[in-house]
Amino acid sequence: MKISEIRENIVIAYSAMASNKVRSALASLGVVIGISTVILMGWILSGLQTALDDTFKMMGVDVLYIDKWDWTGGKNWKDIKYRKNITLDQVNEIRSKIQTAELTFTSTENWGQSVKYGNQNFNGINIAGITYEHGRTPAGETLLGRYFTQFEQYNHSNVAVIGYKVYQTIFSNEDPLGKDIKINGHKFIIIGVVKKQGTLMFDFVDNKVYLPLEQYFSTFGKYDISLSVGIKAGGEENIDKVREESRGLMRIIRNLKPHQEDDFSINETKAFEKQTAQLKLYVWGIGIGMTVLSFLVGIIGIMNIMFVSVTERTKEIGIRKAIGAKKRSILFQFIFEAAVLSLSGAFFSLIICSGLVYLVATILPTMVPETAFLKPFLPYQLFIIASLVSIMVGVAAGFVPAQRAANLDPIEALRFE
Amino acid sequence: MKKKIIDIHNIAKIYQMGLEKVFALRNISLTINENEYVAIMGPSGSGKSTLMNILGCLDTPTSGQYLFEEEDVSTMNDNELADIRNQKIGFVFQTFNLLPRATSLKNVELPLVYAGVPYNKRNEIARNTLINVGLGERIDHKPNELSGGQRQRVAIARALVTNPSIILADEPTGNLDTKTGIEIMKLFSDLWKKGNTIILVTHEEDIAFNAQRIIRLRDGLIESDEINPNPTNYN
Repeated sequence: MKISEIRENIVIAYSAMASNKVRSALASLGVVIGISTVILMGWILSGLQTALDDTFKMMGVDVLYIDKWDWTGGKNWKDIKYRKNITLDQVNEIRSKIQTAELTFTSTENWGQSVKYGNQNFNGINIAGITYEHGRTPAGETLLGRYFTQFEQYNHSNVAVIGYKVYQTIFSNEDPLGKDIKINGHKFIIIGVVKKQGTLMFDFVDNKVYLPLEQYFSTFGKYDISLSVGIKAGGEENIDKVREESRGLMRIIRNLKPHQEDDFSINETKAFEKQTAQLKLYVWGIGIGMTVLSFLVGIIGIMNIMFVSVTERTKEIGIRKAIGAKKRSILFQFIFEAAVLSLSGAFFSLIICSGLVYLVATILPTMVPETAFLKPFLPYQLFIIASLVSIMVGVAAGFVPAQRAANLDPIEALRFE
Repeated sequence: MKKKIIDIHNIAKIYQMGLEKVFALRNISLTINENEYVAIMGPSGSGKSTLMNILGCLDTPTSGQYLFEEEDVSTMNDNELADIRNQKIGFVFQTFNLLPRATSLKNVELPLVYAGVPYNKRNEIARNTLINVGLGERIDHKPNELSGGQRQRVAIARALVTNPSIILADEPTGNLDTKTGIEIMKLFSDLWKKGNTIILVTHEEDIAFNAQRIIRLRDGLIESDEINPNPTNYN
């Protein structure tokens, strides 16, 4: 391909589009829809990923939870249900024996409880009984006030630390510190609010009230509950080591024989990733389905218009061939034209979607706070992907019509009226 | 001895129309030298269009040999023929065949585009060529803003712009009124006097008399090939 021809092809493609504006716009509509789907899907997924990463970071990526329950949901639920509870003795034993951990804490949780503030009841809040060490993990960092101390824990102080969502639900913008709440008839003074951790579907991690473990026992009783041990590995690189040691210790503590399976789970925050992987897959699945469909429509639309264009311009092709255009010049001219048509569709989509994304990301979260993870701009990778994909669509759509043009007999083409 | 530009031996062109074979050209041999002004004449069906297409390298003969400046073009492929058309042949058509959306300048530049001449250079050459055919004032006009005569001048400028070995004109005055036709024929005479080789395909006697040599075809054969003692002189 000669450089002189590339410039010529740009001019031809532009003037062909300019002289058939409506037709070109309609022909590239499929591409506009297709590219828009890709862009919006990519935008949502990238927001989702960021939200997820933020949650992990806030909760601490190096914390393992030894628990009766399995977070991944991958195991048979019934088997898990019949596992023996993890008792306080077992918890204390592993906490005293473990060597590799940076710190450990005990926790248990009661889901869907009600919290009373003043005369109002707030339902569906999870109450955690937990030891003071939790306050030293990223998940225990406070936004307001402070976490409870070892002293408060062992002296049965009536203190509570609340999660961000509980703070929002109960207190709106009121100062919660020093206020009394009632849980299961017991009164607690709020001394701290934990920083927001969850985003999107993980905001349940913020829907929590943390009580000192001993107080939790007084409130809900200490029998027939299964405890879990939080183990902070002190860096992601130590996780494997800590997991191995924990597992070994737990098997000994639970008297498991070598052939028996673990009757406990070692959970990680990363487990959430597996859950969202499913969600991402759905988004991709729907997105890809729609995209393929609209690109198919896009290709057909452009191909059709290119066939029309080739027929209309038969004489022009004849002239070009007569004065020395080679087959590949004509081929390239029409493929180029189709690609430009498709690319301008993509360009149009990018403009529309940028505007749309900006509007949605600025307005929607004020109405639906859960959508705060959406960013008001498109990731730059999407621009590259959209451009490349649209060019490929154009080339695919332009190839057959261009070949027809290139193979026209110059004498016949010149005679065409 | 003048240089041979076109040298064809026993050229035949046969079209298969269903079961029937049509002999468009039966057996033609012909030599055209540099700076000749040749008119090819004949009634419709005589084979003159077929001969023109073959001479113009738009088509290849069924049999026979065609040497263009001593190169055998009868066996060339499409791409090689495109190069010959681009660099050695300038076409002028009855219906002008300009690109309607392009200005005079862009139309004249077109052969240079395919020859790979850089933008600034081809712009300059095209501009000068348009000035030479008397269209310096109409450089940025599109074909629909030009008269028939002006359009044909643009077409002639396009034919000249690569400085070809021959100019092949197919009924160049067919779509023009008599007065404009005469102006165009005068332009061809001038080009011939400047040293160009011109092949004129026509069925009009008075147009053919502009040429210095007249070849008459009938039924795919050369009927006569004579020197015209008195080419029309415009001076």
